[in-house]
Amino acid sequence: MVALTALRTAVGSPRGAIPAGILVFIVACAVFAPIIAPYAYDIQNLPGSNEAPNAAHWMGTDEFGRDLMSRIIYGARTSLSVAVTAISISVVAGMTLGAMAGYFGGAFDRAVTAVVDLTWSFPEILIALILIAIIGPGLQGTMIAISIAYLAQFTRLTRAQIMALKNETYVEATANLGAGNFHIIFRHLLPNAITPVIVAGMLATGDAIILEATLGFFGLGAQPPTPSWGAMMSSGTAQIFIAPWIIIFPGLAIAITVISINLFGDALIEALDIRNRLRSV
Amino acid sequence: MALLSVRDVSISIGVIDPVEGVSFDLDKGEILGVVGESGSGKSLTAMSVMGLLPRIGGRLRTGSVVFDGMELNTMSEDGLRRLRGKRIALISQNPMTSLDPIIRIGAQIDQVSTLHLGLNAAAAKARSLDLIAQLRIPEPEQIHRAYPHQLSGGMKQRIVIAMALAADPDLIVADEPTTALDVTIQAQIIQIMVDLVRDRGLALMLITHDMGVVAQACDRVVVLYAGRVAETNTVEAIFADPQHPYTRELIRCIPRHGQAPGSLKGIPGMVPSVMDYPGGCRFHPRCTQAIDICKALLPVLEAKTTGFAACHLSEARVQ
Amino acid sequence: MTTSPPTDALVKIDHLTRAFTSGGGFLTPKRTMRAVDDVSLDIPRGKVTGVVGESGCGKSTLARLVLRLIDATSGKVSFDGADLAEQSPATMRHLRRRMQMVFQDPYSAIDPRYTIRRALLEPFQVQGLRQSVAEADAAVEELISMVGLSPRMVASFPHQLSGGQKQRVGIARALALRPALLVLDEPTASLDVSIQAQIIDLLEKLKVDLGLTYLFISHDLSLVRYFCDRVVVMYLGRVMEILPSADVAPRHHYAHALLASNFEPDPTRRKVITMLGGEIPSPFATIPGCAFAARCPAATDLCRTTRPELMDIGGGHQIACHHPIE
Repeated sequence: MVALTALRTAVGSPRGAIPAGILVFIVACAVFAPIIAPYAYDIQNLPGSNEAPNAAHWMGTDEFGRDLMSRIIYGARTSLSVAVTAISISVVAGMTLGAMAGYFGGAFDRAVTAVVDLTWSFPEILIALILIAIIGPGLQGTMIAISIAYLAQFTRLTRAQIMALKNETYVEATANLGAGNFHIIFRHLLPNAITPVIVAGMLATGDAIILEATLGFFGLGAQPPTPSWGAMMSSGTAQIFIAPWIIIFPGLAIAITVISINLFGDALIEALDIRNRLRSV
Repeated sequence: MALLSVRDVSISIGVIDPVEGVSFDLDKGEILGVVGESGSGKSLTAMSVMGLLPRIGGRLRTGSVVFDGMELNTMSEDGLRRLRGKRIALISQNPMTSLDPIIRIGAQIDQVSTLHLGLNAAAAKARSLDLIAQLRIPEPEQIHRAYPHQLSGGMKQRIVIAMALAADPDLIVADEPTTALDVTIQAQIIQIMVDLVRDRGLALMLITHDMGVVAQACDRVVVLYAGRVAETNTVEAIFADPQHPYTRELIRCIPRHGQAPGSLKGIPGMVPSVMDYPGGCRFHPRCTQAIDICKALLPVLEAKTTGFAACHLSEARVQ
Repeated sequence: MTTSPPTDALVKIDHLTRAFTSGGGFLTPKRTMRAVDDVSLDIPRGKVTGVVGESGCGKSTLARLVLRLIDATSGKVSFDGADLAEQSPATMRHLRRRMQMVFQDPYSAIDPRYTIRRALLEPFQVQGLRQSVAEADAAVEELISMVGLSPRMVASFPHQLSGGQKQRVGIARALALRPALLVLDEPTASLDVSIQAQIIDLLEKLKVDLGLTYLFISHDLSLVRYFCDRVVVMYLGRVMEILPSADVAPRHHYAHALLASNFEPDPTRRKVITMLGGEIPSPFATIPGCAFAARCPAATDLCRTTRPELMDIGGGHQIACHHPIE
């Protein structure tokens, strides 16, 4: 299949292999957190607070004496699960809406386009904040807010793809055979449209991680004691002169994760040669 | 001496050689048809005459292209630029993309005169209006002010021809100039081009896949197959007495009036891709008369009873 | 008006019109154009009916109306006695088994993600015809050899095939359900001349072997005259002339001009081209009289004001002209 060969190409080159490797490592941290992390993330040890990185604590401890590295490893779990879940929901919902709007057109399309254009003009962070204000902070709230914030992007992308593909001769040929709309959409249009959307989804996951961290920074994301990179950075600001590592390591974690996602996504786009299809958004 | 003399031209793009050993001449006042199907190398040949190969990453590997005594192969880009548009003009396939959509028609034609003939604005405009009228376009003033999108395909192609003529070139290279046009418009454009050549004593290199156009307009013909010349001769001889089996079969592929139903067969197989040219003659897998030597030895262009053909069969055997 | 000889018409087209509107918004005025304008014609069983014309003549729209891929604005299309507009989606789907289309562009006529085998089996799948693996294999093998391709090709993807091979697959797919009518929309326009002739040869054989009726759409008059039993000449959505056989000389000025523009592959028979005035007008302009009047050398005031009806002038030769050529 085209996608698998592209994956192999992307991972084959150094510019794809290195970020891919880093991502695999981060995902492994998230999945195997209880096994990898040297300490539990919520064990407080006040006498040992704000310790600089040392043999016992490779990344030092935070203001409550909790091992920073363990918190970062568990934080990967939070960030990735929120981002991946939220974006997955967003992609599925966006593809459904976009496909229906693009294929059927008419009043439904006009309504969807109007809503999409409206949300498109707001930055995702603003939408997320408004939604959190309504739903309330917390892990679930964050997931919902993020998935809605990115919905416009996937709806637009899918709709553009479907509208372009709808006019391909093979769609007309299939209609000519007597195929119904369902068959055309699910057997021909979506499978051909899906690749750019999946890649866009992947890149959006990086954005979503930052968004989750931002929300966490304001205390609106995962609530303590669940570790979240953003929240860690937030509490780290108070200790910035005493224990700068509290803010640096989570920041680095976010940066490395998102950069790796973007670099790998880029390599994948190259390999799939779909740069022009992604320009429609 | 011929105006244009192409000798043994081989064109490379990267590591492949899509065109090899192409030779032909073109005189003033003559219309030469360069005919072939896809993969024949006819467009690349046209580009080599214009010196435009580097633009697509190609180059003339061997051979010479001599225009009015000047060797184009070794000419600098500056020298080529002076020739292009002024002495050698190009008419390409798609009139939609040959014209700048945001500049008025008149300005685009005027530009050629000002650039190549050094005329001032008023003189250039007068010349443009004259050309537009010569191309039988009604209301030249209005057209001069119009934008390309306001014109039909046929009109646009006439404007492209006007631009080609504006600097009074000696040679026009027309690459499938009517393929994108409707049949009635095509006939008119071909007629206009033929008349212009006759009236002005130009040389026209007409690249096409359409044997009907060749029969109607050309004086001499070069038939290309898979990057090599199959045959070259006068137009009458090519149709009446083809010396190469491909030419003969190609002519038979065109439905004629009164032809018996079921007699149109086509040539079995397909044009080989540049990656897998067969050994020996490139046409031999599809040739009904191939003999052993055809599979082993690449035939060279040699004189036959009439014209030149690259075929191992003696004239008598090509039926 | 003499009565035309009785024909067994597989498809009857009666005063068919298809209009398209554009604009109608706040600032752009609404404009209507008739892609197909009051067309009546029969497609006789077992014969090849050719439709020829230049851009904007409506031949492609007509093809799609005959198959009800688009709906008519007014008029009627009957397939084997059944009025297409009256069919329910279910009966229409069933009817589609009997009428299929071969498309102009072989490069986009097959889903690039489908193997040839899957593409050939899709007709059965769409029509709900269940097959065992053995039946499917047999069907695929039969179809692929019917169009002269090697069975090894069925595992390939479209991009691995040449244009001619792709078009053969398109034909095979159209024949999968054993239709009675095949509509061919410029099936060879994007192919090399030598391949075009191969495909035409194949279509001829299939017509005889399978007893097919063809509606053959093309802009290439010499091809149409070779291949078709009857020739319908269209201009701006209207039928100008119907020639009962390929060797009848056209008497409509437009058809005559079309023929005169068709170059023979014979340098001893060069044509003298008389310039037709003007260009093909915009289809949005409403033309009261004959559509061709603006460019016709023999146009009179009558031509400009009154639209000529399609009349039979003997032997099935029909013409829509006030002053046909003698």
